[in-house]
Amino acid sequence: MEHATLGVRILVPLFSLCIVAMILVARKRDLFIRRIQGLSAIEEAVGRATEMGRPMICCTGLGVEGGVEIVTLQALAIVSHIIRTSVRFATRAILPVYDPQMLPVTEEAVREAYTLEGRPDSFNSEDIRFLTNRQFAFAASVAGLIAREKAAATFLFGYYYAEALIMAETGQQVGAIQIAGTPATTQIPFFIASCDYVIIGDEYYAASAYLSREPTQLGSIVGQDIAKWLILLTIILGCALVSIGAATSSPIGANFTQFFK
Amino acid sequence: MFTPQTGGAWYGYIAGAIVASIVLIVILTQLPQRARKWVLFTVTFLGGLFYALEFFLPTHEMMIEGNKAEGNFLTPFVVPMANILPALSSFAVGLGVINLFQLHTKRVLKWNLDSINSVVFFVAMILMTVAHIMAKRPHPSEFVTSLQKILFDGALQSLDATMFSIIAFYITSAAYRAFRVRSLEATLLLATAIIVMLGQITIGQLLTSSLPDYLHIEVVRNWILTKVNAPATRAIAVGLGIGSLAVGLRIWLGLERGSYFEN
Repeated sequence: MEHATLGVRILVPLFSLCIVAMILVARKRDLFIRRIQGLSAIEEAVGRATEMGRPMICCTGLGVEGGVEIVTLQALAIVSHIIRTSVRFATRAILPVYDPQMLPVTEEAVREAYTLEGRPDSFNSEDIRFLTNRQFAFAASVAGLIAREKAAATFLFGYYYAEALIMAETGQQVGAIQIAGTPATTQIPFFIASCDYVIIGDEYYAASAYLSREPTQLGSIVGQDIAKWLILLTIILGCALVSIGAATSSPIGANFTQFFK
Repeated sequence: MFTPQTGGAWYGYIAGAIVASIVLIVILTQLPQRARKWVLFTVTFLGGLFYALEFFLPTHEMMIEGNKAEGNFLTPFVVPMANILPALSSFAVGLGVINLFQLHTKRVLKWNLDSINSVVFFVAMILMTVAHIMAKRPHPSEFVTSLQKILFDGALQSLDATMFSIIAFYITSAAYRAFRVRSLEATLLLATAIIVMLGQITIGQLLTSSLPDYLHIEVVRNWILTKVNAPATRAIAVGLGIGSLAVGLRIWLGLERGSYFEN
């Protein structure tokens, strides 16, 4: 079992405090969040699907360890906003699901998106499809779905592995407008090569805040930024102390780095 | 409670678990929406609290399942807690199978050109399920063993490998689009890719062997990977880590508005 070191025991609660504090602040006053191009293109993609009269494919990825997990829930939060937009435009969205545990959660989230837009009767449970929980069988199924339905737009959010390119290139081949976002750093280059818009890094976790403008989520993003500033300052301080330690043969730098091991 | 049972106790525990699950499901479905959300929040909070305390509380050397390990008073319960998850996921697999059956039954009943795919699905699913169950029984016949091998090793694994190999062609087409010289960024990408690819192979290393050491292509490639690529990747990873912490906190503390806890 892994357990927290002294550094982790101090830093994680400190970062958590920043995030929770900013969430509370955001509930009382407006906070600014910069424009994220990939997310601004969502309406354009949905609009294009509406004009072409063809469906959209929204995929929430494979997940890291399977089951209901944060990465996939975040993807579902983004997809829920896309579904709300698609309901407004009366455009069909198909959601392939990889993990059976995510199936009821996905159904519930999509049903709620339809209800929030005042169109609960338009919800079709057949559009949320559990395909398989085998990696390449899932990739083949999604690629087949994109090709057969001639998807006008594909949204690939969540955690992906090698199958990312199979799905994204199939979308490219059918001429779909593609927006992707993944925390899997190894798959970002493939998405950049194949998709029209890619959100990278922590934009992935900022996406739902950007789309919903919901104070809790905006506050969380500002809290994350403060935490990142703290990390940056720690890195600069660490570089300075290690350099001083090396120049003066003092253990100050070693002691500092030891704190984070 | 968390130790494996045998004989009559095993049947008792199974029956007890089924009855308890049914009672729990009935209670949850009867609860008003608001109360159900509070139940969800409480279970989520307690589950998160358990793992957070187990991770953060000071540890000491102790015996866990007959082995010496570092831990605290909650550590012995980590494995039993983790064992609950497969039970939950087995319920979910049932949901997945029901979803597939509903979808493909409708398609077969409607009958059009695509319905043949649904027929193939039913045949494959039934055949593979039966073959696997029969093969797992004591002393399976040679026919069953062969059938299982043909379906799983011969068909399924080969199809997996086929899909995986297709990636090579997709990488080529994606790389062609990415490396077309259309802008400054694409040109930089192309130049970097050429250096990294040539630095990886002996011909590239041979081409620059007459240059000073610091201009050898494998040295430049290594510099790009460790001094440019790695820091950028780490910076992305730091942002993702903090983002993941924030989403986890919002869900754990019930601060997330939306599908899960609050409308």
